[in-house]
Amino acid sequence: MKVREFLRRDLTSVDRDTPLVQVIRLLEQSGHASLPVVDEEGRVVGVISERDIIRALVPGYMDLLRSASFLPSLNQMARRLEEIAHLPAEQFMAKDVVTCKPEDTDLYVADLMLRRGLKQIPVVDAQGRLIGVVRRIDLLSHL
Amino acid sequence: MILTVTPNPALDKFYWLEKLPETLLPTEEGLLIRAQKSLVSAGGKGINVSVFLAAHGLETVAMGFLAGHTGQIILRDLLARGVSANFVWIEGENRTNVALILRGREYHPIHIHDEGPTIPQDAVEMFLRKYERMLRYAEYVVLAGYLAPGLSPDFFRELAKQARARGVKVVVHTGGEVLVRTFPERPFLVKPDVREALSLGDLPLTTKEEILVAGRRVIQEGVEACLISHHLTGDILISAEGVWEFEARVPLSAFRNLVGADDALVGGILVGLVQGKDLIESVRYGMAAAVASAEVEEKFCLDQERILAEMARVEVRPSKP
Repeated sequence: MKVREFLRRDLTSVDRDTPLVQVIRLLEQSGHASLPVVDEEGRVVGVISERDIIRALVPGYMDLLRSASFLPSLNQMARRLEEIAHLPAEQFMAKDVVTCKPEDTDLYVADLMLRRGLKQIPVVDAQGRLIGVVRRIDLLSHL
Repeated sequence: MILTVTPNPALDKFYWLEKLPETLLPTEEGLLIRAQKSLVSAGGKGINVSVFLAAHGLETVAMGFLAGHTGQIILRDLLARGVSANFVWIEGENRTNVALILRGREYHPIHIHDEGPTIPQDAVEMFLRKYERMLRYAEYVVLAGYLAPGLSPDFFRELAKQARARGVKVVVHTGGEVLVRTFPERPFLVKPDVREALSLGDLPLTTKEEILVAGRRVIQEGVEACLISHHLTGDILISAEGVWEFEARVPLSAFRNLVGADDALVGGILVGLVQGKDLIESVRYGMAAAVASAEVEEKFCLDQERILAEMARVEVRPSKP
């Protein structure tokens, strides 16, 4: 089956200069765990996720420790959020974005998701413009 | 691609009733009305047009503002119907519009409409950036429905202005002052919504003569064509080239659900135009789509064979000056 047959034509996205505070609000309101970041032409230039934002809020060594038990409280994260709330999304997004095309197969997308540990992949046209997304659940529900 | 803008999306709920109480005034026990059947679907005029277009295999992107749990249901319904969705998410909850449809009087539904969430200024700015981007790929843009609280009455005018600057044809399907304010931007087609008031600005639209006067005034202001409902099964098209009366020969008793029929009309016109038909034939197809939609309980008839069959019942004749 081709991606065009089961993609989710949801174009919810943020711009490169969307402030982080607005990205957080949008993630909460839309219920998405990550959002494509697009340029002026609507081309996908990155993806910003809850994980990217959390990573920006906690000290670098937390990633190594893989535990939050060393944090005395979340106050430190709140202070850090205040500092970076108005910085643009592009500073925090993942730039090595994995995309797929409408003519790609379900098997190709499933393989991408498994290998890269992705929950969602943006679907782009020949010009790289966002035309939808494929989520893991979209694949599962079409098996 | 056809872009539609719905500033105040809704979840439409339809309830079919065998009978209504003689009075809706509260009694001591309150009132309990049981529905025999109900349906729920994404709504709002632009969204309805997009749903109709997607069912005809046309590429369409719906834009506007979504909020809360209701917004999630609207989005899910749209995506399931093949509509691309590019909405701005805001705080609050989208409105729910209820239509009570009484068996035997389906042509006279009772509507209860919510107001909708207030749109904050930063959401308007986000919307305008998305809109400007989507316009680059649009052939037509449909500005439809009533504005949500917080939006300027010039909202549609500004959108029409941007579309005109990019050479995108504009269809405006709303009512009141918001519609009138778009006229200087020379929309391709306006379809006044007369559900609340039979008027166009300060001009009444009760009789055929009044419709002609109002329509000609609109054309003088630069609008290319104006389609005004004369009665439930009749519309009048006014353009610089002339005036045409459209009449669907259908008994009112054939109608099952009128909600959305007007939007099927606009959608049908666009389908005709995209398929290369002239405006008059496109309006005929639109009227056939509206009649076919009114004859089914679902909001739209999406069966193209049935719509084509209804075209035989739509008469069109040039109107004498």
